[in-house]
Amino acid sequence: MHRRTCLLALAGLPLPRILAAVEPSAGSNGAETDSKVAFDAVLPGRVLRFPDDEGAHPGFRTEWWYVTGWLKGTEGDPFGFQITFFRVRTGIGEDNPSAFAPRQLLLAHAAIADPRLGRLRHDQRAARTGFERAGYATDRAHVRLDDWSFEQMDDHYVTRVNAEDFAYDLRLAFTGPPMFNGDQGFSRKAPDPYHASYYYSRPQLQVDGQVTLDGRRQAVSGRAWMDHEWSSAYSPEGADGWDWVGLNLDDGGALMAFRMRRPDGTALWASATRRFSDGRTQSLGPEQVEWFPIRRWQSPRTGIEYPIEWDLRIGERRYRLQPLMDDQELDSRRSTGTIYWEGAMRLFEDEREIGRGYLEMTGYGNRIQVG
Amino acid sequence: MLEISDLYRRFNGRSVLEAISLRLEPSEYVAITGESGVGKSTLLNLIAGLDRPDRGRLALDGEDYATLGEDALTRLRRDKLGFVFQAFHILPHLTLRQNVTLPLWLKGQGGRRAERQAESLLDAVGLGDRAESWPRELSGGEMQRVAIARALVHQPRLVLADEPTGNLDPTNAARVLKLLGERIRDSGAMGILVTHSPEAAKSADRVLQLTPEGLHG
Amino acid sequence: MRLAWVFLGSLGRRRAATLLSFAAIVLGVALGMAVQAVNQAALAEFGRGLRTLAGAADLQVVGPRTGFDEALYARLAARPEVAQASPVLEVRTERIGTTDTLNILGLDLFAVGAVTPALLARPVEIDDRAERESRLTSLAEDSVFLSAAAQTALAVQPGDRLSVYAGSQPLELRVAGDLPGAAEDRRLAVMDIAAVQNHFDRIGRLTRIDLKLVEGLDVQAARAALEPLLPAGVWLEVPQAAEGQASNLSRAYRVNLTLLAAMALITGAFLVFSAQALSVVRRHTELAFLRAIGLARRQLFVWLLAEGALVGLLGAVVGVALGHGLAFGLLELLGGDLGAGFFSGLSPSLRFDPWASGLYVLLGVGAGVAGAWLPARDAADIAPAQALKASDDSALSQRRGHPRLGLALMLMSLPLCALPPIMELPLGGYLAIFGLLAGSILWLPMLASGFARILPLWGPVPVRLAAARLRAAPGMGAVAATGVLASVALVVAMAIMVNSLRDSVDVWLGQILPADLYLRAGRVQSGGVLDEALQARLADVPGVAHVEFTRHDSLRLVPGQPPVALLARPVSSDGRELPLVGSAHAVAEGETAIWISEALHDLQGWRPGDRVQLPLAGSEVSVRVTGIWRDYARQTGSLMLDLADYRRLTGDRSVQDAAIWLTPGADAFSVAEALKSAGGSGALEVTAPGEIRAISLRIFDRTFAVTYVLEAAAVIIGLAGVAASFAALAAARRREFGLLRHLGLTRGQIGGLLALEGSLAAGIGILGGLTVGGAIAWILIEVVNRQSFHWSMDLSVPWLSLLVFAGTLAGLASLAAVLAGRQAMRQDAVLAVREDW
Repeated sequence: MHRRTCLLALAGLPLPRILAAVEPSAGSNGAETDSKVAFDAVLPGRVLRFPDDEGAHPGFRTEWWYVTGWLKGTEGDPFGFQITFFRVRTGIGEDNPSAFAPRQLLLAHAAIADPRLGRLRHDQRAARTGFERAGYATDRAHVRLDDWSFEQMDDHYVTRVNAEDFAYDLRLAFTGPPMFNGDQGFSRKAPDPYHASYYYSRPQLQVDGQVTLDGRRQAVSGRAWMDHEWSSAYSPEGADGWDWVGLNLDDGGALMAFRMRRPDGTALWASATRRFSDGRTQSLGPEQVEWFPIRRWQSPRTGIEYPIEWDLRIGERRYRLQPLMDDQELDSRRSTGTIYWEGAMRLFEDEREIGRGYLEMTGYGNRIQVG
Repeated sequence: MLEISDLYRRFNGRSVLEAISLRLEPSEYVAITGESGVGKSTLLNLIAGLDRPDRGRLALDGEDYATLGEDALTRLRRDKLGFVFQAFHILPHLTLRQNVTLPLWLKGQGGRRAERQAESLLDAVGLGDRAESWPRELSGGEMQRVAIARALVHQPRLVLADEPTGNLDPTNAARVLKLLGERIRDSGAMGILVTHSPEAAKSADRVLQLTPEGLHG
Repeated sequence: MRLAWVFLGSLGRRRAATLLSFAAIVLGVALGMAVQAVNQAALAEFGRGLRTLAGAADLQVVGPRTGFDEALYARLAARPEVAQASPVLEVRTERIGTTDTLNILGLDLFAVGAVTPALLARPVEIDDRAERESRLTSLAEDSVFLSAAAQTALAVQPGDRLSVYAGSQPLELRVAGDLPGAAEDRRLAVMDIAAVQNHFDRIGRLTRIDLKLVEGLDVQAARAALEPLLPAGVWLEVPQAAEGQASNLSRAYRVNLTLLAAMALITGAFLVFSAQALSVVRRHTELAFLRAIGLARRQLFVWLLAEGALVGLLGAVVGVALGHGLAFGLLELLGGDLGAGFFSGLSPSLRFDPWASGLYVLLGVGAGVAGAWLPARDAADIAPAQALKASDDSALSQRRGHPRLGLALMLMSLPLCALPPIMELPLGGYLAIFGLLAGSILWLPMLASGFARILPLWGPVPVRLAAARLRAAPGMGAVAATGVLASVALVVAMAIMVNSLRDSVDVWLGQILPADLYLRAGRVQSGGVLDEALQARLADVPGVAHVEFTRHDSLRLVPGQPPVALLARPVSSDGRELPLVGSAHAVAEGETAIWISEALHDLQGWRPGDRVQLPLAGSEVSVRVTGIWRDYARQTGSLMLDLADYRRLTGDRSVQDAAIWLTPGADAFSVAEALKSAGGSGALEVTAPGEIRAISLRIFDRTFAVTYVLEAAAVIIGLAGVAASFAALAAARRREFGLLRHLGLTRGQIGGLLALEGSLAAGIGILGGLTVGGAIAWILIEVVNRQSFHWSMDLSVPWLSLLVFAGTLAGLASLAAVLAGRQAMRQDAVLAVREDW
């Protein structure tokens, strides 16, 4: 669901339009839009196979691997981290024999939510595939872009990021099987099933590794969440933004929820996936997922108000979401003018903290300049 | 014969010469004296044909200046006048012989004969052996002697000498005046010596006084 | 300071002479300033453009014009030293149907941002395009992004279409946006690198890689680490090197122009000299009087220098202003390289440089002081007592110049000519020219008196007087002749040099273009190529008897130096069809022969018979230098080898040009049409050698337009010199003229005398100027051009033009003398004889 956010993040690169192009424009019909290039379509009933489906699906228009989580160092308070790799099939240069032909682009975005700093650190990369500079594997999760990478090795992922003012090198160990969202990984985004993606998550990843902040390297450990999603037809018409949350529960369970938001703030579509500590998974439809804003925070930079505390109704249960820190706004106006909020959250049930994860909210500002 | 009658000349509204009359017979040598600014130079310029009177008549050997144009006056000077100046005006880039021959060149006589004539004149002023010298090698008195030779070499009818001793010491002045008188008289030309010095004036045959009122004997 | 009026006021009393000296200095300074300002503007613009292109790159990988294998990019990008590598493929193309050329940079937009952000493209919203389409505009294969300057130059806007040649095929592009970071820069066009590789048939090739090194890494260390990775002929350069190369390329041309302007300034100094010399003579008694009443020798000297300095200062200030105006005009008219073609495509803007302007003001003042020096020294040497008695010009009359010093200066020129270039500038040659000029001027009085000796001392009075005067006082005439000599020498030297070069170029064009028709793939050499199939088709066109193809490339032999042009075409083993300089060296069996241009000989020190290494197709190839040929087209050096050798060594079979010989009786026009249609798309251009020749000579004349301006200025200065000298002389000689009038010279005769003296003085100046100018021309041809441009030429003297010029100048000089002396012929001047003093 962070797709759009990710797109926004991509837009944060000096290439807003390329990034925006990841997404078919409103009203268009995904794979059919481009007369020259046939994108693979997302159809119900496909069975996801592993580890192949952990790898890239270059026939689809867009795809991403999205990791969020909480880390704790040897000292001090916990902090959040995020790394996203996007793959974009442009439909351009399909017949061009040039090694530079921009058929597939890779884009990456990384951030650290450090309460001591009080705001996000973030950085980004983009490249066309080729020349061993950027590439992906199709038989397992492996994407790399210069010295940034995300790679699957047997039962864990390894990710490395060397950003301008931070760096990390993390090992993310599986603790269970993947969690399929929607109907066995077929995740609808709108009443029209045409707008859908293949979507699975890997919650409860056990993290160990190193983070460098302000030039100081420290050993860290924590829990993380990985989303892998691919599609050729995305954004439903009539959605202005969305809210997404992915949470690791302390009891070993996991919770994913999102809603596509109309301009008036009501939900166009909503969905959730809940995994219980015993491994049972429950998929919930639009009527079973409700979002209630509780507290708002106004950004001193942009003046935008974000609901940063939420009440969530998932099925019969109610949860409370509270941010690690208020200011987790991502302001890339300097390069593209896109602004959104993406940050580390704590989950409460009956005043008791029961889990931690990430919340992503888009479309709250003035019109998002995505194109 | 030089005839001057009732000559008037004004400059910028100021009368410089008034009712000047003078008659010089052939071979007559007169001195004209007067205070500074009384118009001696103006009178000489008029006689030389370098300036024209406002009124009155000037005639040399019967030729009325009034009837002569610029070119004719130039020819008149070339053929009939000789000049000696206070500042000598010997051309520094000509030898003495060339300086003296210059008036003959102007009359179109350039050959050996002209040079012999010049040499004889140089002889006559006592510089016969210095014909090839340059003017810068001469003293003031010698320069003026060259000037006298130059003034007479082309046998002018009238020699005009304007303060010829003004730049000379008394000894040299006396010698130059004596020489000038002798040469003029020898040549049979008329002579006018303009000077403010009564001493010098005495070397002429007759002394005239130029005053604002006129020219008096 | 009270004395200021006594001295400086004298400048006002001799207004004409002062004004002319002033004008000469104005001209000299203005010309120098203009050349300087224009070049500064062009270089600044060029440098700015380069900096935009280089951006934050620490190092650039450069190679031959045809580029190098892109695999190098992957190797370099993966190196730990490299933070970001930005691949560049630059192609030159041409807009169909026009003569507009366009350099297209193929870039990887994802790599550009960190290295050369100014080259980032900005797509512009285009109404008639679907939103979805416009989103990937930056990568689209038909998108081209143009800088504002390029949009203006091509008269297109975003959304417009632009047809260019890709090879010999037309390519339709869409102007998709602009380059906001390079808005002001020269005509830049950016496309996606993949699209450029594909469209322009350069798959796998790059022409440049911009490298940004990791933070804190020493550039030299990185260079040492990366250099071993590079194939032969590919080098690492710091981006400033290109700027330096451009600056060096134009430096010789610029220094030539500037020094010519400096010579104009020197002429101005001579003018000040003559004016001051005459003024000092005229004021002889005045100065003697001042000395007599207690002015110290030194004070007198300084004050007289101050007179010259004041004229110089005023002239320089006005000259600097005028120079900037002139520069503006030249920029508008001729462009930043003053028509020489070094900076095409730039639109430089003029900036006021206080340092350069200050320098030129100083130069002007210096010229004034230098001119006033000798007269001031002479005046300071006046013995007051004598001078008070002496007549006007006796002091000057006796001056005979400084023949020994003059001779020494002239002799000194000889060894100077043999000096090698210093900092790639022919400083020795320039010094030799200066020595000749100064020496000859010191010799002028000798020349004048020698000249007078052969003059007759008979004939009309004015002739005798003029001759006698010149004979007795050569210094006088010499003073008047200095300005003439300096300017005539300058003009003659330039005229001979330009004429020699033009004739040599003309002959050279004839030698280099022996065929009946010339064909090329588009006007732009690196754009289109003729592939093998097309080559065969061309040879088969009826009426074509014989075709010779040429492959153009450039090689980088040494890092930090501009690339050397490579021409591969059929060459006979003795090179008899080439414009050879010297004889050819025989080549042994199995050796590859190359023919190098004179520039390459000078710059690399290669000689016939040498065995040298050439970086061809990425590896070192050993070849033998067979001979030297004359190449006026490529100043940075060129080499030629047989096309068959080239193909054998590189495997590259494409060519760009073809020289075509027709069968007897074939109609050139119809064959040309047939050849053009053989290319199909209209991308082939066929020209007759006559056209090429005409165009080349037109370009040549444009290049030398500025030197014509300088020559005109020199003539004006020379005439001004004559007029000023004679005005001063005539004024000084009023008493002399008065006496002559007393003695019976007519005005006409005095006018004749003056005219004669004017012609004599000018004649001496002209005679000296012709001689010295000839010698300077020789230095220009054999030393200055050889060292600046590395080309030789055959001496060719434009006798008729020189004769007409000399005659006209002598006539004008007499006229100037008469006009200047008119004052002396006025009636009241006649009376000066009896002025009291």
